[in-house]
Amino acid sequence: MNQAEIILMGLRIWGTIGALVAAVFLTFGMDRIDEDAQDAYIFRPLLIPGILAIWPLVLWRWYLYETGREVWARRYDPPRKAHFAVGWILPIGICAIIVTGLSIRQQWPAEIAPERLSAPTEVSQ
Amino acid sequence: MSDKHAPFFVGYLPVPGPLRGILLAVCVLFISGLAGFGLALGVAQDDPGDGAFRFDYGRQTVTGVVELTPYPLLRVTEGNDRIKAGHTLMLAGQGKNSVENRAIPLEGKLAKVSGVILQRGDLDMLQLRGGRNGLGPVEGAAPELVTEPLGRWKLAGEICDGKCLAGAMRPGRGLAHKACANLCLIGGVPPVFVSTQPVEGSEFLLITGPDGGPLPQGAYDYVAQFVSLEGDVERRGDLLVLRLDPETLEVLE
Repeated sequence: MNQAEIILMGLRIWGTIGALVAAVFLTFGMDRIDEDAQDAYIFRPLLIPGILAIWPLVLWRWYLYETGREVWARRYDPPRKAHFAVGWILPIGICAIIVTGLSIRQQWPAEIAPERLSAPTEVSQ
Repeated sequence: MSDKHAPFFVGYLPVPGPLRGILLAVCVLFISGLAGFGLALGVAQDDPGDGAFRFDYGRQTVTGVVELTPYPLLRVTEGNDRIKAGHTLMLAGQGKNSVENRAIPLEGKLAKVSGVILQRGDLDMLQLRGGRNGLGPVEGAAPELVTEPLGRWKLAGEICDGKCLAGAMRPGRGLAHKACANLCLIGGVPPVFVSTQPVEGSEFLLITGPDGGPLPQGAYDYVAQFVSLEGDVERRGDLLVLRLDPETLEVLE
């Protein structure tokens, strides 16, 4: 299995689990944790792409609501506290990825000359 | 907020005095930094070269003998001002399509081809017009054409699709172009190997499978990477054809 196949396989597994989470959450889970969503169905398919992408977060939030551990006042603490670090990590990370990509890319092997391994045989018509 | 007198930036209110300096500095650094970063990225890219569709040449019409390698070629016997007799033209259809189905009935026969030329240095290809206007039979006997074997070679370079490389895309090679190149090859566009240094006077070789068949699909994974390979080379007119030995394909470090 080459690198491309590994990446594709990973995406398929991630997407398959996400589809299962979306199916269960949008048909049963949402009604259990959000009373405002009860009997409202048209908007639910719009959430499928998002759930496919971040299904672990969906499961985590669902778990907090189901177990009563959700504290709404503290809900935004983690992203708020992470602003400063993320604000630096993001641009530095982007630059590092680009610089790494440019530095490890192949160089045109101009120094390798063609080498004749065996002589020609005969002319055909 | 613990300090009620700390300056606080609000977009629709005047900028607090203590923040003006830092705000100005951030703006200048941000804008100049982005411009510099964009410039650095642009400079780091490879030159796409001067390959292009030569619509300025107008429609080209020449006569020759159709060969299948299995990729369709025309060994020109009656040329024009730009395409001389003795030249070997690689043929492609519109978009990412081959003209193999149109060429098979004419294999070994005289034919007239018409279309627009793509050109990058010594490499060229003809994109044919549709139907018999692009490729049609011509009365007359086809002359015998010589194929000259040049032996087995070990080469380094890059496998590309000949059409984009010749000028249909810029860039027409490299990793950024890999997906496009593979789609062209799947469509039957003649693949071209770019050698690091000229082989018998040419750095561009039409590359085929080991038995004169199409490029094996396993080689598609190596497209757009710098590789070394071995194969038998032959000269058809002024075009070199490389019959790849897939077992020897290696990505260079």
